[in-house]
Amino acid sequence: MARQKILLPYNFTQYDRKALDFVSRNFLKGEQNEITLFNAYIPAPDIDLRGSPIMVKMKGQLDQLSKKVYEQKSALKEAKQNLLQSGFSKDQVHHIFEPVKKDIATSIIDQVSKGNYDVVVLNRKPAKITRFFTRSVFLKVVEALKNVTVCIVN
Amino acid sequence: MAIKDIMELDIFKIITRSVTESNNLETMSNQSAQLLVGTLGIKASAIFALNPETEELEHLASFGLSVDYLNKGPIQIGKSKGWTSRKEPIAIKDVTKSDMLQYPEQAVQEGIMAIVSIPILFSGRVIGLLRLYHHDRWDISKNDLDTLSVLAEIIGMAMMYSRIRSALHSVKDTVSEVHSVWLEP
Repeated sequence: MARQKILLPYNFTQYDRKALDFVSRNFLKGEQNEITLFNAYIPAPDIDLRGSPIMVKMKGQLDQLSKKVYEQKSALKEAKQNLLQSGFSKDQVHHIFEPVKKDIATSIIDQVSKGNYDVVVLNRKPAKITRFFTRSVFLKVVEALKNVTVCIVN
Repeated sequence: MAIKDIMELDIFKIITRSVTESNNLETMSNQSAQLLVGTLGIKASAIFALNPETEELEHLASFGLSVDYLNKGPIQIGKSKGWTSRKEPIAIKDVTKSDMLQYPEQAVQEGIMAIVSIPILFSGRVIGLLRLYHHDRWDISKNDLDTLSVLAEIIGMAMMYSRIRSALHSVKDTVSEVHSVWLEP
């Protein structure tokens, strides 16, 4: 079986865990397969603290905020660890943790073209009200991708 | 001892600006949750959208909560005992002494001691919920509840704006798919 580069966008939900299980079960056979876990995080906002004594006092707390956002990286490493425990070797599993670009869908689309992936594993949440408020990441990504196999875990 | 207000005007201004300056609901809601945690010194914050059919709260954004806690199960608004008016904020000062929680054990395991729930209203209807979680017992002041309620209303307007924008994008995408050949007489 030819070597495949697989991208798994991961956002720590139960649906992402299902997608992770799917990858463990179905892509382990190809010894050369490469899996990349990808999380685009929303960075802490830049705040101008000048001219506000209260906010200057809170500088320490706000600095901690950026650190806390970055702590999500360890949760991504845990997911990576799950793949290693299921039999993948260290050379086969990678992770990318980067600040979101325009939106999460755009970050995924950019990563797919940048990394020349063969397969993208997406999950689709059941009908949710939140879809009315934010555009579906799933739909945006699927509509934009070309020449890539998309696996949908439902 | 008098309960101290913690929601200063500068904090309100900064969070409100982060809501109004963003044109992306994902970013806006996540950064609002981050700022509430950072400025108020609380454990976590979350924003939910209310599904009116199932009465479930659907996670929109959060900061400071563990993956396990977020995946604990569906949150049904009707299951909170004593919530007689959904349009009023609820403050649970001590989760260990309250019977209003749907997942009290998980809250304790998460290190949550107090929860404040503020309904997100739009046109007088509840469309979501802003929740603040504290690691200590928390007696929130009436002034802070009022200020947070105004903030929740601003978040509600941003959510509805995003909803209309999202609907417009869908219409635009559908119209773009109409091939010019089909429009010729």
